[in-house]
Amino acid sequence: MSRLYGDPIEVWTRHGAPSQFVWRDRLYVVHGVLDHWVVAREWWKTSENDPGERRFWRVEARAGDQGGTYELRYDTASDGWLMIRAWD
Amino acid sequence: MFAHLHLASAYSLRYGTAFPQALVRRAAELGMDILALTDRDGLYGAIKHAQACLAAGVSPVIGADLALSADEDGGGKGERRITVLARSGGWAALCRLVTAAHYSGERGEPRVTREMVAAHAEGLVVMLGPASDVGHAAAARRDDLAAGLLARWRAAVPDLVVELVDQYGYREANTAARMLGLAGAAGVPAVLSNAVRHLAPADYQVGDVLDAARQLVPLHPRHLPHSTSHAYLKSPEEMAHVAARICGGDEEQAARLLATTRQVAERCVLDPLDLLVLENDEPELHLPEIGRNPVPLLRDRCADGLYRRGLDRSRDARERLAAELDVIERKRLSGYFIAVAGITDMIRGMGVRCAIRGSGAGSLVNYLIGIGEVNPLDHDLLMERFLSEGRVGLPDIDVDVESARRLDCYRAIYERYGEARVACVSMMETYRARSAIRDVGGAMGLPPHEIDVIAKAFPHVRAKQIRAALSDLPELRESGLNDRALATVFRLAEKLDGLPRHIALHPCGVLVGNAGLRDRTPVERSLLDFSMSQFDKDDVEKAGMLKLDVLGVRMQSSMAYTLTEIERVDGVSVRLDEVSHDDTETYDLIGTGRTIGCFQIESPGQRELVAKMIPRTMHDLIIDISLFRPGPVNSDMVTPYLESRHGWRPVRYPHPDLRGVLAETNGVVIFHEQILQVVHAMTGCGLSMAEKIRRTLDTPEGRSRVRVWWELNVRPEYDRETVERSWEVLDAFGAFGFCKAHAAAFALPTYQSAWLKRHHTAAFFAGVLTHEPGMYPQRVILDEARQCGVSVLPLDINRSGRQWLVERVGPRADPPAADPQSPARIRVHPAGLEPAGRRAPAPAWVGEMGRGYGLRVPFSAVKGVSEAEVDRIVAGQPYTSLADFWDRARPSRPIAERIVQVGGLDALHRLRPGGPRWRPGELTRRDLIAQVGVLERGMRSAAQLPLGFTEHIVPGELPEMTESEMVEAELSILGMDVSRHVISFHDDLLDAIGVVRSAELMSLRNGAEVLVAGVKVATQTPAVRSGQRVIFTTLDDSTGPVDLTFFESVQGHCAATVFGSWLLVARGVVRRTGPRAVSLRALDCWNLLDVDRVWHEKGIAGARALLGAAPVSAGAVGGRRIEYANGFRLSPYADIGPAPGVQDPPRRLWHASGGSSGPAPTRRSA
Repeated sequence: MSRLYGDPIEVWTRHGAPSQFVWRDRLYVVHGVLDHWVVAREWWKTSENDPGERRFWRVEARAGDQGGTYELRYDTASDGWLMIRAWD
Repeated sequence: MFAHLHLASAYSLRYGTAFPQALVRRAAELGMDILALTDRDGLYGAIKHAQACLAAGVSPVIGADLALSADEDGGGKGERRITVLARSGGWAALCRLVTAAHYSGERGEPRVTREMVAAHAEGLVVMLGPASDVGHAAAARRDDLAAGLLARWRAAVPDLVVELVDQYGYREANTAARMLGLAGAAGVPAVLSNAVRHLAPADYQVGDVLDAARQLVPLHPRHLPHSTSHAYLKSPEEMAHVAARICGGDEEQAARLLATTRQVAERCVLDPLDLLVLENDEPELHLPEIGRNPVPLLRDRCADGLYRRGLDRSRDARERLAAELDVIERKRLSGYFIAVAGITDMIRGMGVRCAIRGSGAGSLVNYLIGIGEVNPLDHDLLMERFLSEGRVGLPDIDVDVESARRLDCYRAIYERYGEARVACVSMMETYRARSAIRDVGGAMGLPPHEIDVIAKAFPHVRAKQIRAALSDLPELRESGLNDRALATVFRLAEKLDGLPRHIALHPCGVLVGNAGLRDRTPVERSLLDFSMSQFDKDDVEKAGMLKLDVLGVRMQSSMAYTLTEIERVDGVSVRLDEVSHDDTETYDLIGTGRTIGCFQIESPGQRELVAKMIPRTMHDLIIDISLFRPGPVNSDMVTPYLESRHGWRPVRYPHPDLRGVLAETNGVVIFHEQILQVVHAMTGCGLSMAEKIRRTLDTPEGRSRVRVWWELNVRPEYDRETVERSWEVLDAFGAFGFCKAHAAAFALPTYQSAWLKRHHTAAFFAGVLTHEPGMYPQRVILDEARQCGVSVLPLDINRSGRQWLVERVGPRADPPAADPQSPARIRVHPAGLEPAGRRAPAPAWVGEMGRGYGLRVPFSAVKGVSEAEVDRIVAGQPYTSLADFWDRARPSRPIAERIVQVGGLDALHRLRPGGPRWRPGELTRRDLIAQVGVLERGMRSAAQLPLGFTEHIVPGELPEMTESEMVEAELSILGMDVSRHVISFHDDLLDAIGVVRSAELMSLRNGAEVLVAGVKVATQTPAVRSGQRVIFTTLDDSTGPVDLTFFESVQGHCAATVFGSWLLVARGVVRRTGPRAVSLRALDCWNLLDVDRVWHEKGIAGARALLGAAPVSAGAVGGRRIEYANGFRLSPYADIGPAPGVQDPPRRLWHASGGSSGPAPTRRSA
């Protein structure tokens, strides 16, 4: 079962893809990218400037003995990452 | 190098956002050497793509993205689409498949089946992408189903590929990988594409708006699941990333995918010159089949023509003919002329009026073989303007036919040549301000009636001018549209600027070809079910196909109707084409400016011009028509011409050598033909070259090139000053002149219509009212008819017809004047009872022209009446009573009521509404309306009522309709005031405030400041010399037209009122513009109903105060003038169409106080 979170997290990337992230004070190392997709924002609700897009990554990662599948989201407009959900 | 194989341009209607030219340019910048165009549902952009590729040195691939018909794969929602590409040499197969798609299923919803694709597969590559049935099955993870579908495609199509797309959407890469696996297992090659629909990433927002507009859904993620910024023209590097993503890092597989894509692209490269036939040195034109060698055939027919036209002894004619035939034969166009002559003969044989128009009138061949009736030698028309040695491009012959029978002509052409050889030309309607607001408003979920109001508030401007117009134009600034809530609508609407919206039948172009026509152009069904090429008129020419323009002209229908009415009523058969062209009385009519209803010369500006110019010959009319164009008006040719014509100024020529060329127009350059002759006379370059030079003058760059050419080629004997002065003429003239051949072709129907107005006045107006050829609403035509002495007769169920009918109502000739009490003269105008001082100073014969005739209001004028009802009513005439009418004509109840309301049964039941005294016990229109209800209820109850019962109508308690109620009913049902002019109800007020009538204006001095009033009947904002937006408005005040000009200086306080009112009061300064011409420069204006209300509430002092108050301006008109290099300036809001604003009578026409139903018809002391 997956759980939804929505916590802000810190992410390090390599070649544009996440390689490590810190979530709830633990450092996770990414072992593989399972999926990656991009969703455009509902730009018509916002003002004239570019609303940006949301880039989703579904990755396998481990932090010490704990591991699982995690869905991370990067928002180009706010330049911030969120932990969306986790299967662990 | 990567090649995009799947690409939608803006010619994928309401889907793509970039034009082929921009896409090709970007592809070339990215280093791509091949680019495909695969528009949705058609090849609308194919020729433009080929052309852009040729210019950029890119090899074109052309295909189409087609929808599959609802199929047997049994699952999932949404459309299934495949992409087909023409292999090298497969253009014909692609055209035929696209045509077949449009001919199966519903019109406008082209569909293909696997069988249809298989039938054309010989020349095609078929790509199955994620939108295909296979792709949908793969996305649904139903691999066995996907494999089965793929196997069926493979059995049907030899050259099949699987197309992988990944635009970074949810699970898209996954599906692509799955399809790659399927393709591998089935042994089908896989290619990579990006299903491109945008030029740049940010364009996806426009795409979203188009998706919403196309599917009629609001902008919402639920309806637009595919909003993505990745569907743009990606670079080869970016596509390599996509390949790597799909192949999951398997580099070898990714490389193979890209290599296969390249191979397919190379297999499909077309030679652009195969499509752009005209670019070849020896173009292989697509000509109609004549059956035998057309060259001697045309020669024979021309020789016959020389005798028939009486030109066999003319050396000029023989030499001219030889020169023309030489060019025609060298261009191998003989067959085209034979075919066109065959068509015009056939049209005339059908009894349809047919006239040549445009540059084709300049060809003697056209005259000799009977295509046109204008002899070019009579008017010094040049063939080179139509067809010349140096001219790249095809001649096209334009003919005008009766508008009401244009489609009959089309049908006859289709019948003669066969459906497969004929197609109409199409045209792309693009987004402009109004249409963009409509579609975006819909996508944003605004209520339809609000969208309608907002869209109609805008002038006909480009979509990207919407927000500029909102701040520039006073009437919009005041409108409340500048609201924040609408800001998003306007912002999005601007983004749609210029994108193709839908395809429509070109108003006149017809392709006449041979059996191979559909190998050259895809064809679809138009709204009227004519087959229509997907190419527009430019594409058609570039593709080497010849067309004929058959334009429906309402004036031709109007004149045809007039001729039948003359014959029916007077028993005279008029042969209009044989009428002499020097009838003094006709020119007298034109010279007085009484030209409302006449072809080409009825606008306020033209009425002013003809009254100043006073044409006396056909040649004068040709000049008049050419002068009234933006070019001559803007380069100020009109004043010098008129001054020289009337001898107020000596005629001047840039050089004596040009006297011969310019003498006919008093030294002023007016015609294209003169430019050709000036260039030829001063350089000796020949007329064909001169025509090329003239065309080059179209653009600013062209003008600077011609400038250099001119310096180099002018003969040495001309001095500096002459060269300079003649260059100024060429430069000023630029592209704005008028083709004399065109004017000569126009002048004929202009003269004919004026001749009919002068000599068969009532029948002329019957034609104009029936076919509405002009710019004025019917009420203006009716009023003009009245002033010409024609009576207007009310609707009568026993006398009215389908269309306007002429009736004899008295002796034809001069007085005794008709008895004012006779029912025939139903409108007794108060002004007519005034002293003679109020009469029009127009010559007395104007009012006598139509004496003795009446015009009967037709059934078709009744609002909401159906054609079937009209047919039944007319077939059942005459009727003996209302009940008889109800039984046999079987009108619907509302129609029957409306007919009673406007007096259709007055004569039958001897009603006299509007009279001063009604006594209880007299039958009224109201009683008849009640009786209609009785009849309808009787019909609904099964029992048959006894005849006597329904025949008997009991007079009721209610009084008869008043005059004002009658006029109100007429305006709302017929759209015009028949019994009395609506302005006459305001006579008391207008007299009290001292309004001057149209008929009196002529007697006022220049510069007098006056008040005028009337019904607004025309509003225009044409291009004028100053570059201002000038509003020209015509009011009808029952004694004639009042022409008002609103300059920008007064629009701040006037624009909203001018556009927003139907009845206007205006203050203006009299401007005498000619012996019989007068117009007013407006200073201020008011809605007459507002003045009327103040008058009723506060009395005459209040009304005077309102009219005397200083205007409050809503700010000036903004916007930058569009400036041309030769000094010609244009307002960005100059508009060719009618201006926006109120055009119909409002529901309330006058101030109603305390239960009264309108102003009393009796005079009150003010």
